[in-house]
Amino acid sequence: MSILKLENISYTYDGRAKVLAGLNYEFFKGKVYAIVGRSGAGKTTLLSLLSGLTSPTEGRILFDNKDVRKIDRYQYRSRYVGVVFQQFNLLPHLNAVENVELSMRASGKKIENMRKRATELLDKVDLDETLAKRRVLKLSGGEQQRVAIARALSFDPDIILADEPTGNLDLTTQEDVMDIFKRLAHEENKCVIIVSHSPEVAASVDEVYELASFRTTKKRRNEH
Amino acid sequence: MFVIINALKSITRCKGRNILIGIIVLAIAAASCVALAIRNAADEAETAGLDLLTITASITVDTQRLMEEAQSSGGDMRAMRERISQYQNLSLSELLAYSESDYVQNFYYSSTISLNASGGLEAYGSDGSSGSSFPGGMGGRGGFGGMAMGDFAVTGYSAEDAMINFINGTSKITNGEMFDIASADMNCLISYELALFNGLSVGDTITLANPNAEEETYTFTITGIYSHSSSSESSNFPRFSTAMDPANSIYISYDALQAIVEHSASVAVTETDVNGFEISTAVTGQLSSTFVLSSHADYENFGEELTARGLSEYYMLSSSDISNYEASLVPLQNLSRFAMTLLFIVLAIGGVILIVINVFNIRERKYEVGVLTAIGIKKGKVAMQFVTELLCVTLIAIVIGAGVGAAVSVPVSNNLLSVQIEQMQSQAVNQETNFGRVAGGMAGGRQNIQGGRNTMIDIFSGNRADVNYLDQINTTVNFSILGQLIGIGIILTIISSLAAVVFVMRYEPLKILTNRT
Repeated sequence: MSILKLENISYTYDGRAKVLAGLNYEFFKGKVYAIVGRSGAGKTTLLSLLSGLTSPTEGRILFDNKDVRKIDRYQYRSRYVGVVFQQFNLLPHLNAVENVELSMRASGKKIENMRKRATELLDKVDLDETLAKRRVLKLSGGEQQRVAIARALSFDPDIILADEPTGNLDLTTQEDVMDIFKRLAHEENKCVIIVSHSPEVAASVDEVYELASFRTTKKRRNEH
Repeated sequence: MFVIINALKSITRCKGRNILIGIIVLAIAAASCVALAIRNAADEAETAGLDLLTITASITVDTQRLMEEAQSSGGDMRAMRERISQYQNLSLSELLAYSESDYVQNFYYSSTISLNASGGLEAYGSDGSSGSSFPGGMGGRGGFGGMAMGDFAVTGYSAEDAMINFINGTSKITNGEMFDIASADMNCLISYELALFNGLSVGDTITLANPNAEEETYTFTITGIYSHSSSSESSNFPRFSTAMDPANSIYISYDALQAIVEHSASVAVTETDVNGFEISTAVTGQLSSTFVLSSHADYENFGEELTARGLSEYYMLSSSDISNYEASLVPLQNLSRFAMTLLFIVLAIGGVILIVINVFNIRERKYEVGVLTAIGIKKGKVAMQFVTELLCVTLIAIVIGAGVGAAVSVPVSNNLLSVQIEQMQSQAVNQETNFGRVAGGMAGGRQNIQGGRNTMIDIFSGNRADVNYLDQINTTVNFSILGQLIGIGIILTIISSLAAVVFVMRYEPLKILTNRT
């Protein structure tokens, strides 16, 4: 059974500009997906719908066979979906560790020794202890991106949504991050959905979901 | 816990914003603390002070009520006089009976008669001729207590407690000693002016005569000479008789005076005048009595007991001490009212400023709201975090503000109180000057005179009690005030954060984060 399912999804901005129309798709655990398309195709909008930040104008999104509109979206976002935003969206008055801890506390899950786990997660995304204790404003774009990834993983969500997660990273780190996503999917059975312009990212995932403006999307399976 | 942890982190990491809010709340708290401390002190002075006040009271005829009732029943002057004459001042025996009450701490009395100079003695300020008083008195019974205006006012006291001038320090024995107040011996105290005027000293004798019968004389031995702080020259009141001059006041024991009155009555000659009133040559004294009660509660209870024991409704227990005490609190009460008005203004203005700052604060933290809600924290929790932050800052500022307020409340309030008192005293002085009088008279209290009205001696010698305003207050900050301050802080927090809560609840995370992008 799919973890996330799109059923005839349409979305219109402010009642006028239709961005998405008639989308149907299923996302499964244990796979890495890339949502690709031209600028304005609605990739970020689709990610917003999948993360529960907004609701579709038509159709429905099912999480574990439950309509997302009918469940507590705050709990959905804090416990089941880890989101890596394109603009990172970290809290500037907290340091890296504290941003990750915040997400753990927000999930409401019982997590032992949050500080230690946060530090480990940051280490996993190649952010050492010195940088981890620095306020996020004093980190570079790439370092903030890693903190955002660590935050998204902090409460062990079932689904990871990432909007251009490799955008600010150098090639080596991009590969490292993609490796992390693949490990999460293949070894920890998460569902990882990445929005990206990058052909390298699209080439390294399990499935590519191509969005076209108001046309039926193309599904392409990558042969690895 | 999530809300509290986040709130505390936010407070410590964003010091500038919170310091600004803290300063405003501190100022509000300090001003509120001073105002509340003043109000508290005023309330305590009023209630506790009244409870601890020793009250001197007397039983007087309610002549005003008698006259009003006589008038309302359509009677003429004669009827009114008859009505009033039915209710005479209580006799000493009746007063002594009432003084047995458990509520009465002490009871003393005095009586005053007027005698003429005799045997070479001259009244201070006289022109040498005796009989400067109105001849024959102002009528017999029904006049001024049947007392003729002689050269001297001779007062007999039952106890030293009754000698108010000596109790409050207005008069002091400067030569000789006090006579035995329990004795009926004809010993007396005379004033320094009188002694000097007549070349008298301790041990000398003076002779005084009945103004109505010059052959009826009484001889006294001077045991002491007293000085009086209110100079006999200080009053601008016209004196119809030398007896009104404080220098011509002679003090003896009550028993001695009573002996004079009894003797005078025994040798008196009675006549009927053209109006049909009986005139007697007897010297009669005007009795003045004072009940001392240890508290306001005892005063009230004594009043009820008098009624229960059958005292007519046309007699009343009255005391100027309570009204004097309440008058002494007027500047403090004015200050208290001013302080409360100031408190409301400070709270209103401070509240508006806090609301505005909070609104700007929340607008500035829109992004933070967007992030927190985007990662799954409910809007209500985010709003609670902001309210908790404000509450913590407010409570800390209130504690510091209370400390500042406590430190400055005493000097500030005493300073404001002295300004109030100066204003009131200046008004009183101006009033006196307008009437061509020297401001001030005898300080301290005076005996309540039976009959409920001042004697001419008291009025024209300026023996009015000046109000001793309460000029120092103990504005301590106690737990009650601290509790009120915390209550004010909580209310301020709720009101000023309401705007914040409304804003937070309206925000949508996607819009915030999209707009930021």
